[in-house]
Amino acid sequence: MPEQLPSALDDVRVLDLAGEIGQYCTKLLADLGADVIKVEPPSGDPVRDLPPFYHDEADGQKSLYWLNLNTSKRSVTLDLEKPDGRRLFERLAATADIVVESFEPGYLDGLGLGYEGLARIRPDVILTSVTGFGQTGPHAHYKAPDIVGVAMGGIMWLAGDAQDPPNVPPWRQGFISTSIVAAAGTLMALYHRDIHGEGQHVDVSMQETLSIAQETAMQSWDMLQSLRNRAGERGMIPVNFPGIGAYECTDGWVFGYVGTPGGAPWSELLDWLKEEGAAEDLTEEPYLEFCRDLGVRTLVEMFQDRSKLGQGLQMLNHVDDVVKRFIAARGKWEVYEGGQRRRLLIGIVSTPEDIAKNPQLRHRQWLTAVEHPELGETLQYPGPPYRLAETPWAVRRRPPLPGEHNAGVFLDELGVEPGELERLRAAGVI
Amino acid sequence: MAEMKLPLEGIKVADFSWFGAGPICAEHLATYGATVVRVESETHIDALRTVQPFAKGKTGYNVSGYFNNYNAGKLDLTLNLNTEKGRELAQRLVAWADVFLTNFTPRVVERWGLTYDMVSATNPQIIAAYQPMQGYDGPHRDFLGFGQVLTPVTGYNHLSGFPQRGPIGLGTNYPDYVINPGHTLIAILAALRYRRRTGKGQRIECAQLESSVCPLGPAIFDYTANGRVQERTGNGLPYATPHNAFKCAPLSPGSSAPADEQWIAIACFSDAEWEALVEGMGVPDWAKDAKFGSAPGRKAHEEELEAGISAWTADKEPRALMEDLQARGVPAGVVQSAREMLADEHLKERGYYVYLDHPETGRSAYDGPPFRLSKTPGRLRAPAPLLGEHTEYVCREILALSDEEVADLLVEGVLQ
Repeated sequence: MPEQLPSALDDVRVLDLAGEIGQYCTKLLADLGADVIKVEPPSGDPVRDLPPFYHDEADGQKSLYWLNLNTSKRSVTLDLEKPDGRRLFERLAATADIVVESFEPGYLDGLGLGYEGLARIRPDVILTSVTGFGQTGPHAHYKAPDIVGVAMGGIMWLAGDAQDPPNVPPWRQGFISTSIVAAAGTLMALYHRDIHGEGQHVDVSMQETLSIAQETAMQSWDMLQSLRNRAGERGMIPVNFPGIGAYECTDGWVFGYVGTPGGAPWSELLDWLKEEGAAEDLTEEPYLEFCRDLGVRTLVEMFQDRSKLGQGLQMLNHVDDVVKRFIAARGKWEVYEGGQRRRLLIGIVSTPEDIAKNPQLRHRQWLTAVEHPELGETLQYPGPPYRLAETPWAVRRRPPLPGEHNAGVFLDELGVEPGELERLRAAGVI
Repeated sequence: MAEMKLPLEGIKVADFSWFGAGPICAEHLATYGATVVRVESETHIDALRTVQPFAKGKTGYNVSGYFNNYNAGKLDLTLNLNTEKGRELAQRLVAWADVFLTNFTPRVVERWGLTYDMVSATNPQIIAAYQPMQGYDGPHRDFLGFGQVLTPVTGYNHLSGFPQRGPIGLGTNYPDYVINPGHTLIAILAALRYRRRTGKGQRIECAQLESSVCPLGPAIFDYTANGRVQERTGNGLPYATPHNAFKCAPLSPGSSAPADEQWIAIACFSDAEWEALVEGMGVPDWAKDAKFGSAPGRKAHEEELEAGISAWTADKEPRALMEDLQARGVPAGVVQSAREMLADEHLKERGYYVYLDHPETGRSAYDGPPFRLSKTPGRLRAPAPLLGEHTEYVCREILALSDEEVADLLVEGVLQ
């Protein structure tokens, strides 16, 4: 695997003490070339036990969830709660530029390893703390699994159908977003350190991270005391609108946003229906005129003149039924690619299989092969979030086994005596 | 008080972006000290300027809370890039800048001479960040993804929500706000560091398709490694029971209005958390049943267990409930609306929302800095600019044009 690519971070060492909420942050740094050393407890990172598993074998080496979050990292094991473990960690911390952690605020301070403690060992250290509610404030000590973060951060309120409970976004979006913000905050602090030689403490809160993802909801309440609620597929659109929302196909779904700025006008969809002989009575008045420039503006006008609202809504529903019938007779890729060729804002509702087979992602070789000798297989990993031409993203090594780099890091790099390492192992410190 | 040095002081950003993913990224650069010139045009208006909410009783391009929240602290230049002189001025801005950012489509970028070949010819050290929907090569290069289209294409709709519903998505253009601006910000900061060490700029491409798919990695990996196509499964989690939102008493007694709904999220990952929840509920008989005594038992009877919790929360006020449960060590959080977010005592104490006075909207709330740096805290230094507010300033002070040149350009319609 490519370990010698030019990198923006190849002179940077990161100690990764983080749980789920922070592991995507350190993955981002590692895939850009930082030397990220995971510090796991001797029993292994508990995130290794989370599903899904390779071939459904519930084994700490086979969690696909964990593997995806830990590419390009090394691993040592070390018990921070034992004095010998702490001493070893302090030796390691003296070599570290960045420490990323997600413990309850104050936990590391209790071990003498909070920002003050680390800065005594390494004055220009950057400590990035990634938690549900940040380091200060009345909720700082709240337990914050992903569901609590997305609830308290405002995005869950907006997600889902009105008849269901508010929806939890899939795959720990609160954790992922917080990790992204934490990586940006860490690099911001690193840039400052490069110039001024000064380290600092980076405080990242899941709740604060997610607030901006409320879209217009916060501003709507602030400016107008108007509350956005979860509205299913329509989002900001107040009524059923033809071309907007989810449409079922023969083999799945597509999602339209036709008639909004940025794509072809509704008349283009009408032309498509006509060419395919599926326009029904939309080619006749009153529909022909109505459909020609159907758009969000139509709605604004309808709501301004309430006397015509009832009739308008009826027409919208009829047009929507014609669109539904058109799409229902076709496959999702046909509607997606055909619609996009006409510059209509229509997207395929991708399943994970569709993503793996997406012609665009395949053309760009997004999926990334990583050899796993211990599994006797090469796995196709999710690929790069970005492409930097000079300092490329890359999976630099496969995710580590627990303590895989104990000897390399403790013996070779820190100069711990082999006998001492053996003693620490026997004592359960590593 | 002496101004604190911010990390990006002296960094100059030419922000040729619009909608969400680009402007938010550039706003964060401004928050940490960069000088950001946002390039707009009345002939190519950022649609966000036309989208509600508008400040109470106000209309026009300057009063959208949607736009304003992503553009604080920027200078605003209007430039008609459909004119040759406009495109020349764009290159002068590129020559000035350290960072160039755009999320225009590849076709528009080419039409306006803003490809990497062009901008790097003008400024060899430029860091040029592109955020196309699909990427600058490949069969879907010119596909569009504004609004709510990218979210389904990248897999969120298929995987979100309850199985009996269609793929309705997350109610917002979700990847626009943290995922795509955040990934791009990381790439730019890494490139700035590399340039500082080597003198080399570079081209960054953050294709929104790729960036947005990454957070769903486990589902894709489950397919490539196991051939399994995951479906949407509601609010559950295989190793936590309960793990859901539970309805509480409405805000106004008897109301069934959506805005009056109140919900609390509760999750138990261990026996200890479940036992603490049972204590919190006052040890009801149903919860003492032996079938709820183990994690597999709770999962097997999840529906019944959650119905019991729902019955208990139905007449409760969620905030007090959250405080009580958290004090007992049970993960719980109010499902907060924007109304609750703005009133959240914790966020207030941390000073998260920032209130800025804007000449047309008056005082309004902005999302604060996304992360906190203890020694160089970011700040929103000014409200969002009016359309073209700094056109003359930028022309004179940054592009070094004379008063006469500016007057001519205004007359010729280049600066609009």
